[in-house]
Amino acid sequence: MEGKDPLNVIVTGVGGQGNVLISQLMGRALVRAGYHVTIGETYGASQRGGPVMSHLRVSRQSQYGPLIPQGQADVVLGLEPVETLRVLGQYGNPGVTAITNSRPVYPLAVAIGTAHYPSVEEIVKALEELSIRAWLINATDVAIEMGAPILANIIMVGALVGAGVLPLAAEEFELELRESLPADRLDLNLKAFRRGLAEAKAR
Amino acid sequence: MSLEVKGCRELQSEVIARDLCTLCGACVGMCPYLVAYRGRIVALDECNLAQGRCYAFCPRTSLDLDLLSQTVFGVPYAADELGTVQEIVIARARDEGIRSKAQFGGTVTALASFALDQGLIDSAVLTASDEDMLPSGTAAANAAQILGCAGSNFAAAPTLAAFNRHSAGDAQSIGVVAIPCQALALANMRASPLENRNNIDKLKLVIGLFCTWALRYEGLARFLAQKVPLNRIVRFDIPPPPANLFQVFTDSTRIDIPLDDVRPFIRPACDVCIDMTAEFADISVGAAEGVRGWNTLIIRSHAGRELVEAARAKGIIETAPLPEQNLAHLKEASLLKKKRGLRKVIETSGSEDDLLYLKLTSEAVKGLLS
Amino acid sequence: MTSITAYEPGASQLLMGNEAIARGALEAGVGFASAYPGTPSSEIIGSLAEVAGEMGIYVEWSVNEKVALEAAAAASFAGVRAIVAMKQNGLNVASDFLMTLNLTGTVAGLVLVLCDDPAALSSTNEQDSRPIAKWADLPLLEPATFQEAKDMTKWAFELSEEIKNVCLIRSVTRVSHARGDVRLGEPMPPGRQARFASTTVGQFTSMFVPVKHSLLHQKLNKTREIFESSPFNWYAGPEKPELLIVTCGSGWYYSLEAVKTLGLESSVGILKLGTTWPLPEKLVQQHLARTDKVLVVEEVDPFLEGNLKELVGDTFSALGPLTFYGKRSGHLPSFGELDPDRVMGAVSSVLGRERAAVDPEYAKKAQALTGGLVQARMIGFCAGCPHRATLWSVKNALKLDGRGGFVTGDIGCYTMGLGPTGFFQLKTTQAMGSGAGLACGFGKLGRLGFSQPVLAVCGDSTFFHAAIPALINGVYNQSNFTLIILDNSATAMTGFQPHPGTGASAVGEPAPKVDLEALCGSLGIRVEVADPFDLQDTTPKLLDLMQDDRGVRVLISRRKCALVRAREEKAAYKVRVDSEKCRGESCGCARLCTRVFQCPGLVWDSESQTAKIDEVICSGCGVCADICPASAIIREVA
Repeated sequence: MEGKDPLNVIVTGVGGQGNVLISQLMGRALVRAGYHVTIGETYGASQRGGPVMSHLRVSRQSQYGPLIPQGQADVVLGLEPVETLRVLGQYGNPGVTAITNSRPVYPLAVAIGTAHYPSVEEIVKALEELSIRAWLINATDVAIEMGAPILANIIMVGALVGAGVLPLAAEEFELELRESLPADRLDLNLKAFRRGLAEAKAR
Repeated sequence: MSLEVKGCRELQSEVIARDLCTLCGACVGMCPYLVAYRGRIVALDECNLAQGRCYAFCPRTSLDLDLLSQTVFGVPYAADELGTVQEIVIARARDEGIRSKAQFGGTVTALASFALDQGLIDSAVLTASDEDMLPSGTAAANAAQILGCAGSNFAAAPTLAAFNRHSAGDAQSIGVVAIPCQALALANMRASPLENRNNIDKLKLVIGLFCTWALRYEGLARFLAQKVPLNRIVRFDIPPPPANLFQVFTDSTRIDIPLDDVRPFIRPACDVCIDMTAEFADISVGAAEGVRGWNTLIIRSHAGRELVEAARAKGIIETAPLPEQNLAHLKEASLLKKKRGLRKVIETSGSEDDLLYLKLTSEAVKGLLS
Repeated sequence: MTSITAYEPGASQLLMGNEAIARGALEAGVGFASAYPGTPSSEIIGSLAEVAGEMGIYVEWSVNEKVALEAAAAASFAGVRAIVAMKQNGLNVASDFLMTLNLTGTVAGLVLVLCDDPAALSSTNEQDSRPIAKWADLPLLEPATFQEAKDMTKWAFELSEEIKNVCLIRSVTRVSHARGDVRLGEPMPPGRQARFASTTVGQFTSMFVPVKHSLLHQKLNKTREIFESSPFNWYAGPEKPELLIVTCGSGWYYSLEAVKTLGLESSVGILKLGTTWPLPEKLVQQHLARTDKVLVVEEVDPFLEGNLKELVGDTFSALGPLTFYGKRSGHLPSFGELDPDRVMGAVSSVLGRERAAVDPEYAKKAQALTGGLVQARMIGFCAGCPHRATLWSVKNALKLDGRGGFVTGDIGCYTMGLGPTGFFQLKTTQAMGSGAGLACGFGKLGRLGFSQPVLAVCGDSTFFHAAIPALINGVYNQSNFTLIILDNSATAMTGFQPHPGTGASAVGEPAPKVDLEALCGSLGIRVEVADPFDLQDTTPKLLDLMQDDRGVRVLISRRKCALVRAREEKAAYKVRVDSEKCRGESCGCARLCTRVFQCPGLVWDSESQTAKIDEVICSGCGVCADICPASAIIREVA
């Protein structure tokens, strides 16, 4: 991914997972590192169970538009596995890297019993065949173990930074966390970020 | 029409939307979807099941009268004027208190109380009216509560909703005082092919009431409210012919209304009914025409016979033979209702081969219509 | 996150488009800001409210857009720079005032930001607001980048003061609700003494209308001259392009990406316009002369396209034959959103080039692998939402009543009541307050044979915004309906802004709380209050109100928004399902809770064939325990 300009990253998930927050944190860190950044957010119904997708576009040269053209994502960071598949279907290409949380958030149709949620096997198969690199990370499980399921988003950023697909060093993102988060939430978030880094290292 | 059991959607389209609902209440009280509200069965939400007890129990979905007769009496459906009969007498309660409170001879009240007393049943489901004369089912566990339900209302009541609710509770042996369509529904419950049953096995006794028609509450209430505040009405009566009156009693007055003014409120479901004498009850009770203060009593089942005999032996009721001309008159009236009902069914469906909710052989149809 | 007042000379900061607009206002020394919230505009005034104390400015959430504009105009009249922001529907409310304010003009800079919502992602219509500029003879700026969003706003105050009139800025969702790096300037405190003075006779009145109208046209001509040299307009591309793209606003980035991706830099040029009304005619003509093919890229209506053609019509002999492509030619849609792919498609099509958007092999594989796995995520009411509970009672009351009654809807979260999680109860949804307005009309149709009960619903904020006149109309004209005020104590749909019923101001200070019961009660009508979570009380109350059948009645259905409750208080109940009792799909239940009630906190477990509670999502309202026919849902006081 090194040198790809613009670098197109899609962060996807469901309302309430903290998608917009991590996109902003990454965006701010990248601006600090001297990049032009655009984030397009689709979150009209984020608080009401809808899919939330952030398009992050990173460039040394110039600012890009807020929407990534179809088939042009370089990286998909998924906070929810089926949302990752949804994005791959529209924005993927044979060279895309997909890093996704494994924990499902059931759509209402699944919760109310009118639709089925795919099995882990189906998800893994689709992920692997549609990307050059596919990581499935149990971020929510790790986050619950750390005491707060919401931390899954920061763990996933850790994995993304650890994978080396962003032009961003771990220290640069940690600096952003220090700048942006209130003191009482900082330590836990730093810990979560490092757990994500470790997940990446283990691969 | 086959005996296929369908679901709530079909109950609505085949019965309720076509005005065939008798408001017996058999479909109510088992689920959160169907409720009875002021003379209507209302579906609060759509139930998506392909088969439901609501449809299976309804006395206006495919009725296999032979199957019901076999289930209740162990014999095929008679297809005559009065159905399965062991004996017909006239009867009345010995207790004058009951007689003064009840319509005609007080036989129903006396027998229901007696059945409770004897432990044949531990509770009885009957019909009571609220302060606005809106009738509904209620469960009684003692003679005083039963006496409180005495008297006719003439507006259709979803009495079986109370049976469904009550039978889901602690009661173990239940008696029901039912008009013909309700007795049919109870027989339907007994014969239901569905795995998911209600608690019909707790039903130990059905006392049927003769019925020529029942009225739509909403229409009747609106009509009566123009004449007298509903909450002042105590009871209704229809005196024997040739009076042709619908009488409304308050504490202090009686209002006589021409019966023809009330007829528009007859439920259309009654027009297709072929059962006047509650043919699927253990015993059936009606007014004994021409014998003031007495009831006509039809004993149909073994259980019915036992109850009547014990009540007679203990002096609860007294009986006398039914005069020959009364029997002839009863049969004539019942047959007339069957003919009218069948003709209406055929007129509605447009074919003698489609009897809407009835399953009868063409011989039976011919026999009844001849 | 740092606030929008942070400043480090020369540094860039990541800002949301709406924050950039707010920042531009701060850099212009704005002193007064007002708005009624509406997606995608809310963050402009919202972020100014957060820094109001720090910057010494006044910020308010007004009761509606018209009042917001009037209040801001007063500040301008008194010499204080003011900004107002609204979504496209809000403009319709404010336009009555705007259409005379343009004649009287302004004193200090007054900037009106219009945020359109192409594709109606969070709206009931897809209105392109730009024609108001032409209609009102007011200057219109359209930012294409986040930097422009800030810089244009700052400059708009200058322009407004130069021509002494309102300056319009038109944004769209992909500018307002996107983020990008912006080089910042220095925020300025207002620094002006507010004082009103009418310097000429009738200056701020409707005296001498034709004279003022003529003066307005002079101002517009002056604006056109200024626009001729605006840095917000530029051309990039070859001297004689095969195709000239003329674009503005969100169309700029899409056009740029299309030309780059298709490798057409040497044959396609882009004229990017930031000042779209009045058009800088000389500049435009000069660039149109480069080519004979023009593609216009803009959202949503062919506004720029039409104005360009009008201009070409006036100067036909000078320009020679030109072929226009865009919305009228069908190369781009005049509905929905644009995106880079649509623009690429249009450019390819005009130039007759083949283009495969996505690797067809990959697309086929993706379809095969994901097609069956990915379901739509339908939006609906949140777990514990009071609207679901109210509409459950409404549904039951209407069914029991049985006279074909129905609900006229309104604008807010409860608009979703038109869908499955509101049991499809809302039968109309148009504008703010129009639920009650429609009910006024339905309720007077009795003499024309109408006999259905009418229920109107509106939210608490919507009630203050536009339902009050309709309610009074209903009372005065003796209409027959029940108004249900869904009082969730928040403007929830747009982000929980306070309103006159909440007891808090825009900047978080205590404010007088308008008493809904007293206000409605003062009309001499029947007013009831219900807790929607108490189904046993609410349903009969509604039935009774509905069957009261004379005049206007009000039910205030009061329960705080579930998301606000989640922030402020502990869950009322711990809810669980007794799987032994759960009847599941069998006759007697048929999954009422998961299939019909559809709270996302309830999950159907197909393996055990019972309902379950999702403890992460359940808000602990306990309403589902009341609808379960088997008493299998157990709520215990948490």
